[in-house]
Amino acid sequence: MLEINNIDVFYGDAQALWDVSFTVKGGEIVTLLGANGAGKSTTLRTISGLLKPKKGTVSLSGVRLDRIEPYQIILHGLSHVPEGRRLFPNMTVWENLSVGAYIPPAWKDRSGAMEEMMEVFPILKERRDQLAGTLSGGEQQMCAIARAMVSRPQVLLLDEPSLGLAPVIVERIFEVIKRINQKGVTVLLVEQNAHIALQIAHRGYVIETGHVVMEGEANRLSQDEYIKQAYLGL
Amino acid sequence: MNLQLIVEQMLNGMVLGSMYALVASGLTLIWGTMKMLNFAHGELYMIGGYVLYFAFLLFGVHPLWGILLAMLIAFALGVLMERSILRPLLDKPGWDVSPIVATLGVSIFLQNFALKVWGERFKNVPYFIEGTLEFLGFRIAYQRILILVAAAAVMIGFWIYVKRSRFGMALRATAQDREAATILGINSHRIYLMTFGISSALAALAATMLAPLFLVNPWMGIPPQLKAFIVVVLGGLGSFGGAILGGFLLGSIESLAIVFLSSEWKDVAAFLVLIGFLVFKPAGFFGTKEW
Repeated sequence: MLEINNIDVFYGDAQALWDVSFTVKGGEIVTLLGANGAGKSTTLRTISGLLKPKKGTVSLSGVRLDRIEPYQIILHGLSHVPEGRRLFPNMTVWENLSVGAYIPPAWKDRSGAMEEMMEVFPILKERRDQLAGTLSGGEQQMCAIARAMVSRPQVLLLDEPSLGLAPVIVERIFEVIKRINQKGVTVLLVEQNAHIALQIAHRGYVIETGHVVMEGEANRLSQDEYIKQAYLGL
Repeated sequence: MNLQLIVEQMLNGMVLGSMYALVASGLTLIWGTMKMLNFAHGELYMIGGYVLYFAFLLFGVHPLWGILLAMLIAFALGVLMERSILRPLLDKPGWDVSPIVATLGVSIFLQNFALKVWGERFKNVPYFIEGTLEFLGFRIAYQRILILVAAAAVMIGFWIYVKRSRFGMALRATAQDREAATILGINSHRIYLMTFGISSALAALAATMLAPLFLVNPWMGIPPQLKAFIVVVLGGLGSFGGAILGGFLLGSIESLAIVFLSSEWKDVAAFLVLIGFLVFKPAGFFGTKEW
């Protein structure tokens, strides 16, 4: 479904990704593991068009995402929850979700989709008219996921959803991610918390200093000696 | 000095203030969305004044059509300016100041264009409605009442539009986090284009309303532009509510200065207030983020 083929990505003159390739099949949860600065977020930002690869291709169901404008990518059914949530701080929760439904097909029946997401995250219903900037970290992450989901994407990119959150909250959020996936949404999950990511993922790739160094089934990766040492702290 | 004079001057101050608010809300809109200043704002105002004048002079149209035409042409000019001059400069790393300097260039160009093509003679635009309202012994020209009503209607309408409509949501989203807006499907370039168009149209509206009071000339945009900058500082950069509050505040201060000192002192009072704010409350009434 989502195919990343041999991409090289640069920030100015500095190369951040070298010949990175991987695929995400329809219905999967795939996780990209890696340390800080390994290139995980860069990969997601390239997929959602914020960065353009100098070499290689990104395609979603045959559509070349690297050839279209970044604001058009969501129209092809790919939605991105960026690192650090990136909510609109001076807009209410409800307004944030409304912006999530900006694209014309979603705008028409936005209230239905928004109500649905408030069922998934009941706390957002309570916070409906509160400014997003005043939410707690966990609530912000939920709001960010909800905002990305109201356009009813086929593929969801998640960048470090566990960052800075208490373990209980992380568990709740990952349960929801799993549920979203079970409803048929393909998920690409970037995480530093390899432990929890491998629990819900079907497959995983490991990125180190801009290279894909390892790939495999999630349960195989969590048994791997190197992964255990380097990423699971066992 | 009597009470009647003070009240009448206060009313005049409100009228002027409503126009300051209109001009300043365009500036603050641009700052809020694009984080840049537009030094050509006053010249788009000036163009609005000329359009109205020519619509009157050449075609003798109803003022309402003249106003709409002025807003439309200013909108188009604003869009053209964003698209042709600013867009190529906006996203260049390390060129942060160049779009602002470019607007200064546009300002100088438009002033001299007007001078060369339309001449330096001040042009007279008749009042839209003649007559004066007398109420409890106070007198205020209908033209001024019209200005107040039009300004209030446009600003309230615009505020609701920005708060409720799909485009308004997209505008505020882009202002608050451009990248996050982009991944949600918002074309920020289109938002910038519209921002410039709307901002210019608001300036042109103010110019057409004030043209009967202040005469049309190539430099007519300079004072409102300066005053609008003061207003934007008073209200807080990028704050729409601040621009309105600041506009009325500045208008009232100026008219009080006229009553208690003399009309030569009104700009002194205005800039003293600016200096006071810069020293004691540099973020203005509402700080810098309200969209």
